[in-house]
Amino acid sequence: MVGARAGKAHRDERVALFFLVLCSGIFVVAITLILLYLAWSGTKLFFVDHYSLFTFLFSPDWDALGGKFGAAPFIAGSLVATAFAIVVGGPLGVAVGVFFSELAPRRVAGAMKPAIEVLVGIPSVVYGWLGLTLLVPLIAKVFKVEGDGLLAAGVVLSIMILPTVISLSEDALRVVPNALREGSAALGATRWETISRVLVPAASSGLAVAIILGIARAIGETLAVQLVLGNANVLPSSLLRPASALTSEIILDMGDAPEGSGLQHALFAMAFLLLLISMGLITLIHYALRKRA
Amino acid sequence: MAEAIVSTVASRGRLSSDRARSRRALDRFMTGVLWTAASSIVLLLLVFIGYEFVQGWSEISWHFLTGYPSASDAGGGIGPEIFNSFYILFLTLIFTVPISIGAGVYLQEYAGSGRFRDLVQFSAESLATVPSIVMGLFGLLIFVQTFHWHFTAIGGALTLTLLNLPALMRVTQEALGSVSDTFREASMGLGATKWQTVVKVILPSAIGPLTTGIVLVSGRIFGETAALVFTAGASVSYGKSAYDFNPFHTAETLAVHLWSTHREALVPDADQIANGSALVLLVMVLIFNIVARVVGRQLTIRLTGKS
Amino acid sequence: MSILESQSAASSLTEKMNVENMDVFYGSFRAIKSANLKIPDRRVMALIGPSGCGKSTFLRALNRMHDLTAGARVTGTVTLDGTDIYGADVDPVTVRHRIGMVFQRPNPFPKSIYENVVYGPRIHGENNRATLDEICERSLKQAALWDEVKDRLQRSALDLSGGQQQRLCIARVLAVNPEVILMDEPASALDPIATSKIEDLIGELKKDYTVVIVTHSMQQAARISDFTTFFLLGDLVEVGTTSDIFTRPKDKRTEDYITGRYG
Repeated sequence: MVGARAGKAHRDERVALFFLVLCSGIFVVAITLILLYLAWSGTKLFFVDHYSLFTFLFSPDWDALGGKFGAAPFIAGSLVATAFAIVVGGPLGVAVGVFFSELAPRRVAGAMKPAIEVLVGIPSVVYGWLGLTLLVPLIAKVFKVEGDGLLAAGVVLSIMILPTVISLSEDALRVVPNALREGSAALGATRWETISRVLVPAASSGLAVAIILGIARAIGETLAVQLVLGNANVLPSSLLRPASALTSEIILDMGDAPEGSGLQHALFAMAFLLLLISMGLITLIHYALRKRA
Repeated sequence: MAEAIVSTVASRGRLSSDRARSRRALDRFMTGVLWTAASSIVLLLLVFIGYEFVQGWSEISWHFLTGYPSASDAGGGIGPEIFNSFYILFLTLIFTVPISIGAGVYLQEYAGSGRFRDLVQFSAESLATVPSIVMGLFGLLIFVQTFHWHFTAIGGALTLTLLNLPALMRVTQEALGSVSDTFREASMGLGATKWQTVVKVILPSAIGPLTTGIVLVSGRIFGETAALVFTAGASVSYGKSAYDFNPFHTAETLAVHLWSTHREALVPDADQIANGSALVLLVMVLIFNIVARVVGRQLTIRLTGKS
Repeated sequence: MSILESQSAASSLTEKMNVENMDVFYGSFRAIKSANLKIPDRRVMALIGPSGCGKSTFLRALNRMHDLTAGARVTGTVTLDGTDIYGADVDPVTVRHRIGMVFQRPNPFPKSIYENVVYGPRIHGENNRATLDEICERSLKQAALWDEVKDRLQRSALDLSGGQQQRLCIARVLAVNPEVILMDEPASALDPIATSKIEDLIGELKKDYTVVIVTHSMQQAARISDFTTFFLLGDLVEVGTTSDIFTRPKDKRTEDYITGRYG
């Protein structure tokens, strides 16, 4: 009797293990397929259409009908918007992370944190719409311009990456042992001195990860930037003039791009570029973490 | 009194009272700065919600929430789009939940520290950083083109599955990690196999955080746009019933509708429709958040007798 | 407590700190009950007692470390050279500059040895490289660590052994030039050889500093301290010269502890 039941349990175990390994394997298969498919279609522009990689990356001439696919305006736009987001949202996010980890009384933190969680959940299209209806007119009034452009995109992105940076920064600081806080206080340091001179340096690798993931989030954001950028296919000359980004361009033109056309191949090349940048950032994180360990 | 202490130190070490005062001032200033930063973010959220309520409230009506979108006239509704949002969410969860829980259980309970484990972990992290538009293009390549499905709800759902697998796997891992090891030891000590332990003891104990995580991820799925535009499409099947259960039909969701309405701007009340849609989306996010917390806490209390 | 009066007029004992009627509360729990203690200048005062008797709690009240613990409250007065450190105008940060603390587990910062030692002086405004170098060398010599680390000051402090790390923490405290050094079981996490080095160090330190040391080892108290205070369940039971406490305890509770009845 016991033997039969034990046998079934062991058989179940084997079946279960198979299922679990299968599930895990799906992750590996998925990312591999994505990389392969995107690499295949993303390089058609260069291998099938024989377009120059150098021109694609650095030429500011984008004229789909005329066969010119210089993607520099989009690359530059993405970089500027992301840089703005990180410069504004990065320190702000770390500061709030410090606040939650070191300063906030439990009740205050309990009241504020749900707000951060809601901010995470807001869809990017809604952020974009809020940016378009709230921020762009504001910029237009203050700076006497149309309003859309990289400033609007940068501000929207800053807000969007905040929850990521905040929660990762907070985690990084909480992990720092309490003994360091005590040791610093016992030497006569103020709380701010302990935070700035001991805790932040000690948590630096975790904070670096927070910032890098913020960058990854910003550069991959599509809807929010598309709605506020203004979509002008030119190199960004100012924060206040319409510009374009890799993600916004893809979503705007992919729908109309004829199958097999140079335009479609160029858009896939941009998508592949985005994928490479994201994977590059992940590798950077692993490198940063391994260096500290 | 304070001067006495400070001046004695000056004679003993190198400390001036000016320096101590400025350090204290800096400490107080920076504390203020951090409080302001945190408060302003909360304020920002309230401004967003408030503004959208003001803008979109007038549009909300029963007709708007259940009616059909209009191709060129004013007065269109978002009924089919809301249905599609839930339908695609449902389809996505059917695929995502088992796979990510399976992988999470494997990594957390079974895998040693081998190559396969590192590979899966790395794959999940890489998958997590794929931008949603890129994932949408992948979906376009596979489901729309290679499989010749064209725009379908199931295509969108499968694409969203890929997008959310890492998030739910992380939720699973954290939920399992929150279960105390004593449960595992007790169960194995009574002669249970690992799988029996997982199914009968660990997963039930983790049901609270697990449910919270699933509901929160659902909220994000509900609002996804970029990955759906080229997989599930930006239109609904006109003329047919608003509640189209065929997974192989085009299925524009509410989030996509907000974007396409604004982009096409064919109808005269495009802005109002967009405002109304944005408001509905915001309200849904809030509802998902609240439900996630409440249900999660209730389940945990029900199971463990304490919160 | 009349240790000071009990000394002859020829002795050089002066009072450095005076604790009067001190209570320490954690929430509603009274961890220290009406403690009174005079701490003599430039001597070693040991605080002994069984686990949980409150000796560490008492020690932490001497440099206002309880300010950092939510729910902890200290009442009564603690004076340093006559001024109450809990007074309304007193800045706790300055208090901890003059009254330093060494903890049970070594807690060096994840920085270089040099940066650890000069952390305190830097905060207090010292930026001159030559001065900092000099402070670093002086402190490390006082902590009997200089010879072992003088060639690798820029290396991480975390590479040092446990005993070396603890001496580094002592050097770190010495670098801010305190007058009183509080030590919370400084050698309990160390091996016997490292422990005896720390004990020798304490013997040297008392020439320039007032030392108050919590120890769970009676033998250690007997070896290194001039005065000993016995705590039990939050009560300061008895204080006296170390030899008096260990050979002629006045209170029966002290005698029971010394002879091993409990603790």
